[in-house]
Amino acid sequence: MEPAIRTEHLTKIYGQRLIAVNDMNLDVPKGYVFGLLGPNGAGKTTTLRLLLGLQRPTAGRVEVFGMLCGPNAVGVRSQIGFLPTNPKFPANQRPIEYLDLVGKLSRLPLQVRKPRISALLRSVGLLGATEQRIGTFSTGMCTRLGIAASLVADPPLLLWDEPTAGLDPSARRFTLDLIRELGKTKTVVVATHILSDIDQICDHIGVMHEGRMIFTGSMSDMKRRLRHDDFSLELEGNNDEIQRLFRELDGVDGLSIRFGRENELLVRVAEGRSRSGMLAEVLKLIDCSQVSLQAVNSGHNATENAYLQLLQEDEAHGFGR
Amino acid sequence: MDSGVKISKTGTRMMPYLAILRHDLGTLWKSRLVRLWLGGTALLTLLLATGNWGRFQDAPLIASLQFPYLVFPWFFVVAVLGVSPVSGSHADSLADGILSRPVSRWEYLLATWSARVVVVLSVYLVVMAPAILVITLANRPVAADSVSVYGIISVLFVVGLVQTFLVSLGFLFGTLLRRSLLAIVVLVFLWYPISFILSIFSLEQFSPVSLSRAVSTQLRQSWRQSEEEAEAAANMQDMEQFSQQMSDFFSRLSGGQPKPRTEKGDFFETKEFADFSLWRVSLGYGLPTAAAVFLAMLSFYWRDL
Repeated sequence: MEPAIRTEHLTKIYGQRLIAVNDMNLDVPKGYVFGLLGPNGAGKTTTLRLLLGLQRPTAGRVEVFGMLCGPNAVGVRSQIGFLPTNPKFPANQRPIEYLDLVGKLSRLPLQVRKPRISALLRSVGLLGATEQRIGTFSTGMCTRLGIAASLVADPPLLLWDEPTAGLDPSARRFTLDLIRELGKTKTVVVATHILSDIDQICDHIGVMHEGRMIFTGSMSDMKRRLRHDDFSLELEGNNDEIQRLFRELDGVDGLSIRFGRENELLVRVAEGRSRSGMLAEVLKLIDCSQVSLQAVNSGHNATENAYLQLLQEDEAHGFGR
Repeated sequence: MDSGVKISKTGTRMMPYLAILRHDLGTLWKSRLVRLWLGGTALLTLLLATGNWGRFQDAPLIASLQFPYLVFPWFFVVAVLGVSPVSGSHADSLADGILSRPVSRWEYLLATWSARVVVVLSVYLVVMAPAILVITLANRPVAADSVSVYGIISVLFVVGLVQTFLVSLGFLFGTLLRRSLLAIVVLVFLWYPISFILSIFSLEQFSPVSLSRAVSTQLRQSWRQSEEEAEAAANMQDMEQFSQQMSDFFSRLSGGQPKPRTEKGDFFETKEFADFSLWRVSLGYGLPTAAAVFLAMLSFYWRDL
């Protein structure tokens, strides 16, 4: 099957000085929610801009649905809905006027444009703000409007750059839910450095570091690479009791235990052992001890740890990179 | 039925261009710069017309009103309007808002350029058309003049063409240099010595100063009048009046009294100002305008946003 996005040896060098994207080969299959993950300056936004034809590659090629990207690749951009980070809009326009402009830019006839704009404004929760000028909008409202603008032409591919940046928890929740919903019918690429977002919405990810794609694969592939602790236990009690519990747990076959932060035990379950069964065993021992259990965190930082591990490995490879 | 489909297809194809044009026209019209310019040009036209109401015949008086558009100070405003759409911080928002949509770069540039040309010409005509109408129809205490409709239209066309060229030049420099301020500074340093540069290549007749000197003569041209006849129609009175206009104009701007007239310069004596060919001027400004727009598009096409 033809991928939604394909890059071959994609390279972008700014002014012979800065390598923003370095020999990137990437395939994003259709219908995936793909997370483009990386620290600030990793080249995520540049990659999106290359896909949109806003920038020209120094070397290599970019294709979207089999079409070559470039400055005048109108056909490519008609397949893409783009949401930039902190989108900027004409301050003195109202949401309907702006979305109508976007609809016209997408060559949508009036009969299609108007009902879709109404539906989108309702979907993103801006129906009550249609009288307001965009200049008076909060960051969250601007993001919602940007989301609506990216969906006006109903494109099969969405490129959203830091969609949750600067949003309050409810707006963030709304955006993530929407991505999950859109992912059922469209290919969605979300560029972000917020790991918890990726964890919640993406089925596949690509990790970028210093312009290079250092990992691509499914979320489970990534987590599998991790030397992770299966769960951590936050305990309360005196040190002697906690030490005794530590010794007891360490004696259980299939478990390896180590201390984490203060009063925290990190528990790892051996390969092939039942995670739930081992957890039940652990809880039983805690119940029999003089220590009280405050919290059990399971796989809480798996993505973060895997991500950091990938970055560390990439740094450590030196010339091998 | 078929033709209906054809129109609809053309309409769909033109939709982004028309949308950007309309959007830019609205934005420009609401901008302070355009509103101040409209107010300023109306006020200056009123001052120049009333100040010379009883002194100049129709042709020199109308010519005096063209000077601010051809030479100073409106060149600056027109250049700034041309520079802004593809330079500075505007470039980022246009990339995110418009060029990330299914719009080609040439569609965007052509639409923004058209919007600026339309605004500049509208402001010029909104002020100039009524002013010329009043001057030609009013019963003024000066000798009757032979200003023709053709002459008025051709002068409006030439001044409009020069302004279109200035917008395009601003557009080109804004695209090439990216920084609005830098583009404006370069334009100012390029445009003001233009008469001197053109005279080096014996192209003085294309300079804005020469054009503004030729306006009086052109206003008296009739449709069938040949270039030779036009030369014969020129008279010394126009030249003297024109010099006086310039002197008065700058004196008024500086708030001082008009300076006593000095004797004419060599350009006046040679009557070169009358060597005005509408065809040559149209080509002389039209071709560079087209070239500037083309180069701006080429430069913008290769540019990263």
